[in-house]
Amino acid sequence: MLKATLRSFLAHKGRLLLSALAVILSVAFVAGSLIFSDTVSRTFDRLFASTAADVTVTPKETLDETIPSGQTLTLPASLADRLAKVDGVAAARPDVDVEGITVADKDRESVGPTTGAPTIGTAWNPTERSPVELTSGHAPKGDGQVMIDADTADDKDVRIGDRLTVIGQEGSFPVEVVGIVTFTTTNPGAALVFFDTPTAQTKLIGDPKGATSISLDAAEGVSDADLKRRVAAALDSGAYELRTADEQAESDVEQLGGFLDIIKYVMLGFAGVAVLVGVFLIVNTFSMLIAQRTRELGLLRALGADRRQVRRSVLTEALLLGLVGSTAGLAAGIGLAVGLIELMGLMGMNIRTTEMVIGWGTPVTAYVVGLGVTFVAAYLPARRAAGVSPMAALADAEIADIGRPLRLRAIVGSVVGAAGAAALVGCATASKTSSAASLLGLGVLLTLIATVIAGPLLVRPVIRVLGGAFPAVFGSIGRMSQRNALRNPRRTGATAAALMVGLALVGGMSVASASMTKSFDQQIDKTLGADFVVQNANFVPFPREITERIRDTEGVGLVVRLQFTTIAVRLPDGDRVKTTAAAYEPKLDEVANITYAQGDSAAALAAGHLAMDKDFAEDHGVRLGSTVPVEFQGDRRAELTVGALTDQESADGFGSQGGIYFGLATLEKYAPGGQDAAVYVNAASGTGADDLRAGLEKTLDPYPQVQVRDIADYKDLVHDQIAVLLYLVYALLGLAIIIAVLGVVNTLALSVVERTREIGLLRAIGLARRQLRRMIRLESVVIAVFGAVLGLALGLVWGVCTQQVLALQGMNALAIPWGTIVAVMIGSAVVGVVAALLPALRASRMNVLAAIAHE
Amino acid sequence: MSTAAAQYVPGPASADGVAARARGLTKAYGSGETTVLALDAVDVDIARGRFTAVMGPSGSGKSTLMHCLAGLDNVSAGQVWLGDTEITGLKDRELTRLRRDRIGFMFQSFNLIPTLNAAENITLPMDIAGKKPDEKWLDQVIDTLGLRDRLAHRPSQLSGGQQQRVACARALASRPELIFADEPTGNLDSRAGLEVLGFLRDAVDQLGQTVVMVTHDPGAAAHSDLVLFLGDGRIVDEMERPTAEAVLERMRLFAGTNPMASDQAPPPEPPEKG
Repeated sequence: MLKATLRSFLAHKGRLLLSALAVILSVAFVAGSLIFSDTVSRTFDRLFASTAADVTVTPKETLDETIPSGQTLTLPASLADRLAKVDGVAAARPDVDVEGITVADKDRESVGPTTGAPTIGTAWNPTERSPVELTSGHAPKGDGQVMIDADTADDKDVRIGDRLTVIGQEGSFPVEVVGIVTFTTTNPGAALVFFDTPTAQTKLIGDPKGATSISLDAAEGVSDADLKRRVAAALDSGAYELRTADEQAESDVEQLGGFLDIIKYVMLGFAGVAVLVGVFLIVNTFSMLIAQRTRELGLLRALGADRRQVRRSVLTEALLLGLVGSTAGLAAGIGLAVGLIELMGLMGMNIRTTEMVIGWGTPVTAYVVGLGVTFVAAYLPARRAAGVSPMAALADAEIADIGRPLRLRAIVGSVVGAAGAAALVGCATASKTSSAASLLGLGVLLTLIATVIAGPLLVRPVIRVLGGAFPAVFGSIGRMSQRNALRNPRRTGATAAALMVGLALVGGMSVASASMTKSFDQQIDKTLGADFVVQNANFVPFPREITERIRDTEGVGLVVRLQFTTIAVRLPDGDRVKTTAAAYEPKLDEVANITYAQGDSAAALAAGHLAMDKDFAEDHGVRLGSTVPVEFQGDRRAELTVGALTDQESADGFGSQGGIYFGLATLEKYAPGGQDAAVYVNAASGTGADDLRAGLEKTLDPYPQVQVRDIADYKDLVHDQIAVLLYLVYALLGLAIIIAVLGVVNTLALSVVERTREIGLLRAIGLARRQLRRMIRLESVVIAVFGAVLGLALGLVWGVCTQQVLALQGMNALAIPWGTIVAVMIGSAVVGVVAALLPALRASRMNVLAAIAHE
Repeated sequence: MSTAAAQYVPGPASADGVAARARGLTKAYGSGETTVLALDAVDVDIARGRFTAVMGPSGSGKSTLMHCLAGLDNVSAGQVWLGDTEITGLKDRELTRLRRDRIGFMFQSFNLIPTLNAAENITLPMDIAGKKPDEKWLDQVIDTLGLRDRLAHRPSQLSGGQQQRVACARALASRPELIFADEPTGNLDSRAGLEVLGFLRDAVDQLGQTVVMVTHDPGAAAHSDLVLFLGDGRIVDEMERPTAEAVLERMRLFAGTNPMASDQAPPPEPPEKG
C-alpha cells in the first residue's frame, strides 16, 4: 500500500506543485519571522549586554510614558562620587544621554535617521564597553565641538570640519564636527552625537551638575547582583532605579521591542493569511485528485484494500506533500529572514547575516505548521476517498463529487451564519466598547466560517447573475464558461473562498479606515479653531526655543501651547487610572471648540483644577467640584478639583482615557521640564493667513523637526497616519491574492486535465484555440469575481459593524469607499484573467486526437 | 424510412463529384527502424452524396484514414483535398475553421458537451462560428431525428441512442460537405444502433449529405453504398451495395481466420420499417 501511495504521489507531483507552493509560502513566513526576530533580539541582547555597565543607576520613572512629555529625568552628577565610596564599587561615572535632540546641517536639514529612530546626544566618556571607537579626528572639547557616528556621517555626507546646528532642550547652538566614531558592535539604527561632558550637561539637560544616569563598575569578586544590593542599601532612596547589566540589556531590548514586535506580528499576520488561504487550495487539490481517481480507488477497494487503508494512503500522500513543502518553506524562510535583515540594514540597522540565529523552535514550528496545514486540509478529501465504493471501479461514472447534495452545508452554514449575524447585531447595538469589540471579533469569525461553508450554495444563484450576460455577449463560449463554473459548486466555492478571505479583510478595513478618516475630519473641523498648528509629525515634543521664536514672529496674535504628561488618577470608586493628560495655556477657547456639559475652559484651566469627560466621570463617580488625587511623574502628588466636565465625541485613544486636561501652569507646578507637543497659533488682527503662514515657515526653517499646518494640512497628517494602517492591509491583500491566484490556476489546470475529452471534442468540431482560451479565461473571471462579490459583501458588513464600535469611541461618521470597492472588483476580474493564462495555454496546446482518445 | 440498407440502390445524387480525395496518403509513426506505417500511400476518392463505409481489423489504419481526411491529423506524405481545397499543409487555424464550417463529426462516445442542452449542442459549431443556423433546415433535421421533445435536455438526461441522435443532428445542422462518423454505433445496443444507421442513410438519401463511416461491424457497413476494406494501411478491396453476409465473408477472407467480433454483428436482415 505504501508503494502504491508513493507511486501515486510521484505520478501526481505536477498537480501537487501549486499546493506545495501554498505550504511553502505559509511555512516561509512563519519561519522567516521567527528567524528574524530571534536574530535581532539575540544581536541586541548581546549589544546591550556588552555595553551596559555592571550596575546602572537612573532616576526612577514612576509612570511609564505612552506619549512622550519631553521631560528628561536627571540625577545629581555628584551622586557618582558618593557611590564610588560604596564597598564593592570599583568606579562610578556620571553619564549624560539624551534622546530626541535634533541636529541640522547647513541646509537646515536634519542629519538624523529618516526612519523615526532617534538622534541621541551623549557625553563622550569612552570605556572598554563603549559601542563605538574614535576612528578619525579628536574628542570634542568645549561647547562648539561634536563627534558623530560614521554611519550617519556617510549617510548624510557630513565630514570633519562641517558646521552643524544642535537643537537641544535648552536651545540651539552651532557646533563643528571634530571627530568621527565607528560602531564596533551592531548599529541599532540611531544617530549618535558626542559632546564633552560640561556641554552635554548645560546644553542638553540644562543642569551643569546633573546627569541622566550613573554607571558603576564592580570591584573584582563582586557580582552584579551583589553590587546592586550593596548600592541599593547605600542609597536608601526610592527615587532611583538600579539595574544590573543583564537587567539593563533586557530593558533596552524591551524599549526596542515594540518596533521589533510590530515586524514580528506583521510577519505572523502574513503567515496566518498564507495558511488560511493555502488550506483552501490544498483541500481543492486533494478533492479533485480524488474525484479524478475514483475508479482507481474503487479498484483498490475491489482488490481488498479496506477504507482505513485508502484513507491512510491519501493522508500519507498529504504528509509527504507537507514534508516537502515544509522543508522548502524552511529554506525559503531563511531567505526571507536574510532579506529582512538586509532591509533593516538599508534602514540603518546593521545586523550581520552571518550572526543569524535559527533556534530549535524554528524548524519545529515550520514542520508543525506545514504538516498540520496539509493534514487538516487533506483530512476531509481523505475521508471521502475512503468512502468510494468498490463498485466505482466498474461504473462509468464521470466524476463522483458533483452530485452530492449540499444539504448539510446549508444547515451548518445557516446556523453558524445566524449566530454570526446575531453577534454582529449585538456588536452594533452594544453600548460598551469592550463588549462590542469582542462581539465584533466573534461575529467576523462566525460569518467568515458560515460564508466559507455556504459558499458552494451561493455559487449557483450568484454566478447565474454574474455570468448572466455571457451567453448574450460571448455566445456558446460564454454559455459554456458560465456553466463550467457552475458545474461543481464545491470546487468553485472553495476556489473563490481563497480570494474571498483576503477581500473581506480589505473591504472591512477600508470601510473602517474611511470612516475613521471622515470622523477625524469632522472632529477637526468641529474642534480645531486655530489658524495654524505647529508640531511634529510623530507628536515628538520640541524645545521651548521654537515656541519663543513663534511668539516673536510678525503677525502672530495668540499662541496657545500644549504639553502632554503621564499621570495616574485615583478615582472615588477605587480605580487607579494611568493615562496621558493634556495641559494647555489659557485662552484655549480661542483655538479649540470644546463642548462642556458643566463648567467652562476658564474653570478647567484654573490653578489646581482639571477637566474630564462627563461619561468617564459618571462611570467612576466623579462630580463637578470633586477633588481627585493625581500622581505626576517622579512621584509628585496633588489634589486637583474637577472644574469642568466635557461632552466631547472622542475622549479616548492613543493611550489616554477620560479626556483629562488642566492648565499648563498646574503641570509646571508639579512636573516641570516638559516640552511643547504642539503650539496653536492665531493671526493678529489685520494679518492674513497666507502672510502669517509665510512668516511662520520662515521662522521654523532652521528647525527641521517641526512643521506649520493649517486645518487642511492637519487633516492630511491624520490621513497619512491612518493610511499606514491601510498599506499594511494592502500588503496582506497582495499576499492573499497571490495565493488565491495560485488557487484559481490550480483549479483551472486540474479542470482542464479533467475535461480533456470535452476539449478535444470542441476542438474537433471547430473551436479555435483562441476561442478555447477565451472560454477558460471567462470561467476564471467569473470565479474570481464571485469570490470578490462574496468577500466585499462580507467586508462591507464587517466594516459597517466596525464603524459601530468606533462610534462608541466618538468616531461617528460612516464612509464607504466605493471607489476602492469598484477598483477591487475590476482588479479581481484582472486576477481571473491572469490566473487563466497558463491553464488556457495548456488547454489550447492539447493535441486534438490525443484529447479525443483520452480515457 | 422505407429502404432497407441491404437493398439500397444508389439515388440520383450519387455520382456528381468527389467530396474528398487523397493521393499517396501516408502516415508513419515513430522513426528509423521502429517506423510503423499506419497508412501506406493510400489513394481514395469519397463520392459526393454517397454513404461510404471504411472497414478493417484493428490496426488496419481505418481511424487514421478518417482523421487525416478530416483534418484532425497531419500526414507524413501525400495530399488530401476536401472538395477543391487541399488541406495538407494548412495551419491549425485554417484546419479548425474548415472542420467547423465544412465537416460534421460523430464519435463513438462522448459526443456532446455535458454542460449544454441538446439544442445548444446541435447548433454549437454554428455558434462557435458566430453564424445563424438555417432555421428551416434545422427544423427538418430535428424532426427527421425525432428530437423535438428532447431539445431542452442535457446529455446526462438522454439515453445513449438519443445522445448519438443529437450528435448526428449536430453533424447535419450546418449542412457540411462531408460527415465523418467514427464507430457511431459502437457504444449502442443493436436497436439504437440500427436507428442511428437509419438516420445516416436518410441523411444521404433524403437530405443529400455525404457520409463516411468508420466501423468494424459488417452489419453497420451493410447500410452503406460502398465499403472500402483497409488492411495494413492500404485499401485492399471495395464492395458496392454491400450486404452484411457479403461483408463478413470478405473480412474472413482477408484474415484467414475469424476476423473480428462477429458476436457484435446485428442480424443480417434489419427489420423493415413501415
